[in-house]
Amino acid sequence: MQNKSKAVLLPAVLLSMSMLASACGGSNDTGGASAPASGGSSAPASSGASSGASSNGKELQLTLAFMGLGNMKEVGLVQDEISKITKAKINATVKLMPIDIGAWTQQVNLLLAGNEPLDLLVTSSFFNYSSQVAKGQLLPLDDLLAKFAPTVKDTMEPAIFNSTKINGKMYGVPSIRDTAADHGISARKDLMDKYNLSFDNVKTYADLDPIFKTIKDNEPGVYPLVQRSQTNGIANELVRGYTDYLGDTPGVLIIANQDLKVVDLYETQMYKDALQQARKWYQAGYIMPDAATTQEGNNSLIKAGKGFSYLSNMKPGFATQETTVNGREMVTASFVPPISTSDSGTGFMLSIPKNTQDADRAAQLLNLLYTDKDVANLLANGVEGKHYVDAGNGQIKAPEGGSNYVFNQWEVGNNALTKVWQGMDTDIWAQTKEFNKNSTFSKALGFSFDSSPVKTEVAAVTNVNNQYKAGLESGTIDPTKLDEFLKKLKAAGMDKIIAEKQKQLDAWAKANNV
Amino acid sequence: MKTNDMNQPVVHAIFIVLAALCVIPFLLLFMSSISSESSIVNNGYSFWPKQFSLEAYTYLWSQKLAMFNSYGVTILITVIGTFVGLLISALLAYPLSRQDLPIRGFLSFLVFFTLLFNGGLVPTYLIYTEVFHMKNTLMALIVPGLLTNGFFILLIRTFFANSIPVQIIESAYIDGASEFKIFYRMVLPLSLPILATIGLMLTINYWNDWFNGLVYITEPQLFSIQNLLNRMLSNIQFLQQNNLGGQNMAVNLPMNGVRMAMAVVGILPLILIYPFFQKYFVKGLTIGAVK
Repeated sequence: MQNKSKAVLLPAVLLSMSMLASACGGSNDTGGASAPASGGSSAPASSGASSGASSNGKELQLTLAFMGLGNMKEVGLVQDEISKITKAKINATVKLMPIDIGAWTQQVNLLLAGNEPLDLLVTSSFFNYSSQVAKGQLLPLDDLLAKFAPTVKDTMEPAIFNSTKINGKMYGVPSIRDTAADHGISARKDLMDKYNLSFDNVKTYADLDPIFKTIKDNEPGVYPLVQRSQTNGIANELVRGYTDYLGDTPGVLIIANQDLKVVDLYETQMYKDALQQARKWYQAGYIMPDAATTQEGNNSLIKAGKGFSYLSNMKPGFATQETTVNGREMVTASFVPPISTSDSGTGFMLSIPKNTQDADRAAQLLNLLYTDKDVANLLANGVEGKHYVDAGNGQIKAPEGGSNYVFNQWEVGNNALTKVWQGMDTDIWAQTKEFNKNSTFSKALGFSFDSSPVKTEVAAVTNVNNQYKAGLESGTIDPTKLDEFLKKLKAAGMDKIIAEKQKQLDAWAKANNV
Repeated sequence: MKTNDMNQPVVHAIFIVLAALCVIPFLLLFMSSISSESSIVNNGYSFWPKQFSLEAYTYLWSQKLAMFNSYGVTILITVIGTFVGLLISALLAYPLSRQDLPIRGFLSFLVFFTLLFNGGLVPTYLIYTEVFHMKNTLMALIVPGLLTNGFFILLIRTFFANSIPVQIIESAYIDGASEFKIFYRMVLPLSLPILATIGLMLTINYWNDWFNGLVYITEPQLFSIQNLLNRMLSNIQFLQQNNLGGQNMAVNLPMNGVRMAMAVVGILPLILIYPFFQKYFVKGLTIGAVK
């Protein structure tokens, strides 16, 4: 009997122990996980220690994590080509780590909680940049840049470059892209030509009426104006060019005022007018009856021939880009001059996380991404002959049968160094630079709102928004409902969010001498 | 057959409706996958599309390398995970079902404890990636599923305890069988219903698992089919709800039809094997669950 029970006991104990180990091992480590997160001081210390050995003696593999939105099947080929260059220049190879945007927040959180090697990371004010800094997960870059990448700051507008500072220190380098945006309309060229329409005499959104009417009267089944998505309602597009949203929560700055007074967008006359305009178009039948609920975006509607035009933010070369995306030739017209908002710089940056194996080497790779033409081009466009082919005139085009490497180049590095696609003006990046420079800058450039103190209110306001916003802004609901919307927003704590935003903005302005 | 003739049609009607409610979504899913893209955009999803098209499947076929790869990953983890999971669960449940096991209550409690509490995502992630170095390995898709099925263990234990008479075990023991021999020659063959049930549940768990892939896998060649589908859908959802400072993104969002076709391809194998397990399924579940 003794023998028998022992035999039964052994596997049971072993298995229970393994379960216990997995359960308790997890909880024991909680302390370890929170330690590097809360102890911001440990990160600079380690970077300081490693900066002593800056001779690049040992070959390293540096990991660069970014948002993999496009086709990333042949990322390995690109990685090998970049590694060849970086191996020669900084004695390090590169590992490209695309992370799906839907999984981005979670995977980056986990990566930063652990100690996996991660040397460069795309960061963004849309993805917790300020809280990553507050937790000490990103290294300050000022000294590293001065030492290893002194010319990076000359590649962009100083205001943009400096806008990533938090408490006086930089934690990210903005990507070189269209940091400003103008706003206007894109429409199908075939229909514009067919009815001899032109945007020449259209100076404001309201002047679009006759064009919409022509399309509506002559093209049954084609809606003159479609929305980009439910969150980008028509009225929202109409006001977006005049405001700085200061993140995605309510409370905006009016750019033209050039002040730091946070206002409630929904109470402004501008917003009321925009709702009236959207409603007018809706009632005239220019907007799809189910605009507030449809899951289809503008691109698929245009592609399917159901839509004629849409409102959006734009940039130099926008018509060419949209032509590619929609598979139909598009013409554009801009009604609102370019603006740069609070997140123009912090929208997409490159940062060095605390996980880095060697902060110096990471900074050198960052330098290459902003100054080395070949590295920047490989990352943005892939390998010549495989992912693009020469189109003459120094421009490139997609290869026969498409490419298995489509990178969203606005995320990372100095895109002005990359080869220009066929159809774009060859001097597109010079144009973009002018465009960025000449935009109206928001006073709050670089400010990012931390919504955690008013989490409850934000959630409540989001619920109210979900109930009314899409309906009102698409013109589906009559603007008289706005009062009801406002009342519910107030009840949900709208004023508290705006007050908190104002408080943070004032503190930020004081710290940055704005 | 003497049944109540009055009730028969009513009962049938109720079950026909219930069955239809289960089948209709699948039917819609399938019909959407063979609709042409423009008819989905123009008319929405419908049971009988205006225009039929196999473009979604053609597209999937053009991606066959990635598709077959994901299929391979899913099948591999499902087969290994189900087999090993079943083995571990049965090996643990059997001793727990024996009255003569010392500290049986305590060990059962440990199993039960894992049903209520776990390590939390971040600590668990750190253990798997930094202690066991499982990030971006197939193990990361298999191991987490093996260790968190306390419910299955309790089901099997209850089945062993209630359906296998102690006398059988004792007689085998008297005949000179060792503990292991008793286990695999007597207990396991008598427990087919519960093993089939748990096996099917494990199969479904592994087949449908996308979470471990989401957390531990960044290499595309290790994406399972559900992970691929989930990533696709969450990307689409994300882009619909967020306006990243108005960046215009070059995204290859699959067409509506393709999403549906992927879902069809993803569930097909499970639908095919389910009928073979079904007869055990009901039996195993009822016997195992009732104490």
